[in-house]
Amino acid sequence: MDPRFTELLAPFLKFLGDEEITAETSLREQGLDSMQAIELLFAIEDTFAVVLPDEAMNDATFATAGSLWNAISAASEAGQEASVR
Amino acid sequence: MSDLASASPETSPAGYRKLVSQALEDVPAGAPAADVWRALGAAGALSALYAGGNALGPVADPARLGALLRAVDARGDNGATLSVLVQAASALPVLGSGRSGPAPAAPSPVAAAQAQVLAGTAQVALAATDEATAGSDLSGLGTELRIEGDELVVQGGKRWVTNAGTAEYLLVLGRHRPGRHFTSFGWVLVPARTAGVTVRTAATDLLVNAATGHIAFDSVRLPADHLVGRNGRGMAVFARHMSTERLAGAQWAVALTSRVLADTRERLRRRTVDGEPLWHNAAVRQGFAECLVRVTQLRALCDNLAETAAKGQDLSAGALLKSAVGLTVDPVLARCAQLQGADGFAASGAQGIRAEAAVLGIGGGVTELMLAGVADLSEQLLTELRA
Repeated sequence: MDPRFTELLAPFLKFLGDEEITAETSLREQGLDSMQAIELLFAIEDTFAVVLPDEAMNDATFATAGSLWNAISAASEAGQEASVR
Repeated sequence: MSDLASASPETSPAGYRKLVSQALEDVPAGAPAADVWRALGAAGALSALYAGGNALGPVADPARLGALLRAVDARGDNGATLSVLVQAASALPVLGSGRSGPAPAAPSPVAAAQAQVLAGTAQVALAATDEATAGSDLSGLGTELRIEGDELVVQGGKRWVTNAGTAEYLLVLGRHRPGRHFTSFGWVLVPARTAGVTVRTAATDLLVNAATGHIAFDSVRLPADHLVGRNGRGMAVFARHMSTERLAGAQWAVALTSRVLADTRERLRRRTVDGEPLWHNAAVRQGFAECLVRVTQLRALCDNLAETAAKGQDLSAGALLKSAVGLTVDPVLARCAQLQGADGFAASGAQGIRAEAAVLGIGGGVTELMLAGVADLSEQLLTELRA
């Protein structure tokens, strides 16, 4: 996972404490509530200049740090391919 | 992005105030809120309200929004002001949020409705509070929005919807899948006369001109192009525009409380005790001054956070503003009502206004919920205060 992503994510996880964010980190268990998840979505889209596709807009995408990062990476790659074409 | 964002004319703040004032000049006192809305639309005051926009819809210019609400509030009809506020600050921005997929060849029903509402020839009601759960538990809403091929099916019910009794269009928040996750919800535009829609007037003597009602949706079927905004982003769009609605609530609160304070001071100057106006009584003056300080503080907070709340669409600004409204309006109006004495119970007295203004601490999020949000933001807010 990109360090920019974990830095962005950390303030949203109020129960994280000193733990390190891993791909398996459960976002809900670490304190990400519904409203904060919306804020996180906008922060991600601003920071990484991506728009998560409609099919990624589900609770599985926002389940863990790893699943969210995978969706961001896929959206970023899709965006790059589209700009090359 | 909505087309209306680029259609906004260049209008100075003074020019906009004049535009709104002239628009309302010929609307008789006590006229239905639809007449107020129609006059504002016909004058171009609604399309000029939105100074810009983003992928999530048009964004109101905060100064114009404040001017609009002050002018409507000056009419002294709280129901009409609530009607205008909800449409201008929430419903129209949500209605203008972008769609998924390529742009349609012909104007969509959503775009057509948006144009009518902006022109003032139609009203739109925002139906979010659900029959299935408390207003503060939006994620628990039960109204279903099923996508069946090329059709949408709406099933469920909404409560305490402003403009329900008069609006031509209903903007309905529903769930397209089970669960509380924010991606499970979407908006659908329902023409009020669609088969299966039943509107029942809310039994209340308060805010009558807001035409508040309860709405039932019994297997309401619509073409899929009535979906508003991108799939899975209904709650996100709503959240993004909430800070503007909260700013609008604070701007209305300042207008309303200062109107009541002015009226109260006038009454205190006229009423006498032992030949002396009540206004000369030290205890009366102190109580009045306390109210004035509270409203001035709220006005300063509005001015300070207006850009952040509206253009930055910042939720922390919205939570601060709505909390401050909750902590200000009722104490101020309670004091005004007390200072007005028995006259406060008259039709135009502060007692009735206080009851109606309670909507500012309940609608769109109760004060307690806002304060919980402020507590969640304590780290950020303390850092800003200590900087």
